Amino acid sequence: MEILHGFKAVGKALWIKNYKTLVLTDLHIGYEEALAKEGFLVPKILAKEMKQEIKDLLKLKPKIVVINGDLKHEFGEISKQEWFDTLEILDMLLKDGRRVILVKGNHDTILGPIAKKKNLEIVDFYKLKEICFLHGHKIFLEVLDKKIKVLITGHEHPAISLREGVKQEKFKCFLLGKYKDKKTIILPSFLNFPEGTDITKEKMYSPFLRNISDFEIFVVGDKIYKFGKLKEIEKTSNFKN
Amino acid sequence: MIKIIEKPYKSEEVIKVLDESVKEWFFSKFKEFSITQLYGIIPIHERKNILISAPTGGTKTLTAFLAIISYLVRLAKKNELENKVYCVYVSPLRALNNDIAVNLIKPLKEIENLVKKKQKMQEIRVKVRTGDTTQDEKQKMLKEAPHILITTPESLGIILSSKKFIEKLRAVEFVIIDEIHALANKRGAHLSLSLERLENISNIIPVRIGLSATISPLEEVAKFLVGFEKTKEGWKPRDCLIVEVNFLKKLDLKVLSPLKDIINTTAKEMQQALYDVVDKLIQEHKTTLIFTNTRSATERVINHLKEMFPNRYETIEETIGAHHSSLSRKHRFDIEQKLREGKLKAVVTSTSLELGIDIGYIDLVILLGSPKSVARAIQRTGRAGHKLHETSKGRIVVLDQDDLVECAVLLKEALEKKIDTVVFPKNCLDVLAQHIFGMVIQKKWKLNEMFDLIRKSYCFNELSREDFLDVISYLAGEYNLEDKNVYAKIWYDTRTNEIGRKGKLARMIYMTNIGTIPEESYVNVIIASPFERKNEKIGVIDEAFLERLKKDDVFVLGGNKYQFLYARGMNAYVNASVQRPPTIPSWFSEMLPLSFELALAIQKFRKLMEEHLKKENKDKVKEFIKKYLYVDENSCEAIYNYFHDQFLYAKIPHESKLVIEYYTDAVQGKRYVIFHSLYGRRVNDVLSRAIAYLVAKHGLRDIEIGISDNGFFLASNYNMQAEKALKLLSEKPEALRPLLEDVIEKTEIFKRRFRHCATRALMILRNYKGKNKSVGTQQMKAEFLYHVVKKISEDFPIIRETKREILEDLMDIENATLVLKWIKEGKIKIETIVVETPSPFSLNLITQGYADLMRIENKILFLRRMYEKIRKKIEVKSK
Repeated sequence: MEILHGFKAVGKALWIKNYKTLVLTDLHIGYEEALAKEGFLVPKILAKEMKQEIKDLLKLKPKIVVINGDLKHEFGEISKQEWFDTLEILDMLLKDGRRVILVKGNHDTILGPIAKKKNLEIVDFYKLKEICFLHGHKIFLEVLDKKIKVLITGHEHPAISLREGVKQEKFKCFLLGKYKDKKTIILPSFLNFPEGTDITKEKMYSPFLRNISDFEIFVVGDKIYKFGKLKEIEKTSNFKN
Repeated sequence: MIKIIEKPYKSEEVIKVLDESVKEWFFSKFKEFSITQLYGIIPIHERKNILISAPTGGTKTLTAFLAIISYLVRLAKKNELENKVYCVYVSPLRALNNDIAVNLIKPLKEIENLVKKKQKMQEIRVKVRTGDTTQDEKQKMLKEAPHILITTPESLGIILSSKKFIEKLRAVEFVIIDEIHALANKRGAHLSLSLERLENISNIIPVRIGLSATISPLEEVAKFLVGFEKTKEGWKPRDCLIVEVNFLKKLDLKVLSPLKDIINTTAKEMQQALYDVVDKLIQEHKTTLIFTNTRSATERVINHLKEMFPNRYETIEETIGAHHSSLSRKHRFDIEQKLREGKLKAVVTSTSLELGIDIGYIDLVILLGSPKSVARAIQRTGRAGHKLHETSKGRIVVLDQDDLVECAVLLKEALEKKIDTVVFPKNCLDVLAQHIFGMVIQKKWKLNEMFDLIRKSYCFNELSREDFLDVISYLAGEYNLEDKNVYAKIWYDTRTNEIGRKGKLARMIYMTNIGTIPEESYVNVIIASPFERKNEKIGVIDEAFLERLKKDDVFVLGGNKYQFLYARGMNAYVNASVQRPPTIPSWFSEMLPLSFELALAIQKFRKLMEEHLKKENKDKVKEFIKKYLYVDENSCEAIYNYFHDQFLYAKIPHESKLVIEYYTDAVQGKRYVIFHSLYGRRVNDVLSRAIAYLVAKHGLRDIEIGISDNGFFLASNYNMQAEKALKLLSEKPEALRPLLEDVIEKTEIFKRRFRHCATRALMILRNYKGKNKSVGTQQMKAEFLYHVVKKISEDFPIIRETKREILEDLMDIENATLVLKWIKEGKIKIETIVVETPSPFSLNLITQGYADLMRIENKILFLRRMYEKIRKKIEVKSK
């Protein structure tokens, strides 16, 4: 489904057809390992699932792939498994001469060695004509450039809880709204589980996205469902019974 | 063979087996042997396994120790005491210091003094080893082994895998297990395997001595104590003697109804009357112990007493106190000390004072509301009148009409000495995983050697080889758990059939994460509005539940509805005046379930009541009630009215008639189907979910479930084919279990129990690398863990154990199946009624709200439906 003219939501990824650009955000590779270090001995399956999903997305034949921050999860040292999974995913993306842009996220403080190994540059933000990609945990002056019309961010892991009576289910979602004079699209996390932060309940993390009640919600299910503005959903649904 | 000792030994016989000095000491303190001692001392002296069941205050602990002390004193006199542990004493009580001081350390000191007047003797060392024992003290124990080691089930588990201390356990001669009645749970399952490990380590087979309050069936408890042995003819329970010294204590137990008419009365009137009664009882006695069924109720009772009678309870000198497991140790010790000193008028407690902590002289026990089982009623009442031959005085004060009927029947059962049965959980795979890990830390094992040892435990005697191997596979990191380094805790060599430990941190992980009691943390619920009740604390909810609450959610706590407003730290603030129905199921309930036997006894009474109401006038029926139950006029009148209303308005459900009531709440447009299945919550937990599942599957919609001891309801906005579902189930009762195994994963309770099991099986380490984590974090991540594990194998041992725990321990699949069989055989007939307002018997059930939600609708279908719904509303608005 087109979220904005020229911007299509494909599963949890964003496809910008005019520039043959695929955008993924918040992959958090190594999430399970981080849990294991805390004492939750979770077997690894997320990376495997992720590789399959990426393979499917590459059928769109992108020329550019933007990883919009938080490629991996860990803040601390890179573990062996994480290193291995990250390289494998980067190799998949780089195949067939594709360009891969790594936007720096708040979890990416030590992404350097991996990027270097693959000759990739890590950027705070990436401008593509009228579009600017940034992770979302920080705002940069350059982004406010008048020529930029669309901002693409991640970081929030947006999800929405839909409720009916005592039933409640959480879904990942895209958000479309405005920051200053710019259209802004917030992508859901590419990591399969957990779904993310409930936008009806919790505050936004981004310093520049305080009020999102005017944002439109696109829910990720078997396809993308356009639900309308958050404030309208809150008014009409039985969130408040 | 398990054998009951029919008659006590003679006093002269007992005297003969005791050491001179021990005898001298004993008769300087007591006039004669207690009946328990006459039964128990000689068999222990003769080194026979024995289970002693006697009421609290029945001198059990001293009985167990007397023959052992006598033996040790003889050795000490001859200077033959070795540097080893002779006796291990295990108690589930965390605070056992006081009891031991009275029953063991003090007598030993006094005997020593007696002996030393005449001759030299070695010191007999007694040491306590629990989670609180310092490293320093442990070091000392290594040099000088305690001759009698006092410990808890958890600490015993740790000791068994210790590197050095284990050497002091190579020749243990006695093991005493105290308070066995409190071990019919996973703690007990854990302990039963520890006992076999201890026996395996010891070159001498230790004698096992079990001490229990009133409990049934004694034969099973005895088997639990002694375990099994492999003989030529197969597995057999080891020999054990049973001593039953029950009921010698006189029981003065009565049911009190605060008002004559408890049906047509407001909650406020009822409350006023209730506290008037409680206050009057407290004032008439010296020291009163009040039992409630939940921790939150404990606090509530104290607050209300202080508020309503400030000059009696809100004084500078504290006259009333609380004692329950969420309170700090220091606070509890304080209360116990004040009780012993007779400084308190009353103490309110939930379950923490049920066990045998020494609390001095209590002359009255008040039970607020039904204790839900006869054994518990007797144990609680037994806390009054501490000496064996004194009368125990107990008063059950009832809270509403259902409670009244239940307590009245309970009283009858108690006075007629019909005790409900306990069941020990079997084949707990999570507990097993913990033990296998502990065993390989101790040494390398052969597969069959390990399996044989495990099967000696009563709780694992029927363990299948498949289950055993699955747990081994899990611990060895098989099941496609990639990156074995992290997950594997053991290695298993299929070629040599050897099993050993893996990882440098193994011992540390084991020591810091052992245990079976799930960790929960609670958040206070505090009123923010209305203004007149501001800051009133109404109870607690657990942290994991709080995480699910959204602003404006309505939930049920202690029978009342509250609207969640916001949380600050460990407090959740709510609005207490809310009219809307609950929006979130209250799966956190900590209520005690009604025992199946007691439920059947009530059902029987209901049937008799129906027969009498059909043919007799009021006076005659009341005559019957008074004759059948042991109740006063107030209670009799109330019971009559309650049954009469139900009889006139609807039908009386009973042991051979299951009534299904259909009712539609016109305001909410919600349909209810109420099942009057008085079989206790544990059976209803099963039946309700099975029926809800079938109904929900048929209509492809989720169903709300409400459950109590007296029945359950299903609610939905749609028509429900509930009766048909019940009939379908009863056609094939044996299909209930497989159905439930599927169904249970769709409920809220599963998520929580999965966390408990994963923690016990050491898949979630509470303590890891010195870090502790909050319960909330644990719960969130456990859900992630479940999501992943399920993808690996639907049959993963921890998932299987979670289901077993829910179906067998938390719920009662066995008796639920039995009920279905009764329906199939025609012993129970089903009758339906359609009503405009809920019948008297269903009022309590309906008002208590939801307990769970049966999820059947697929997530995507739900999304589509919500999409249509919300889009439609938005469109209408924008026109």
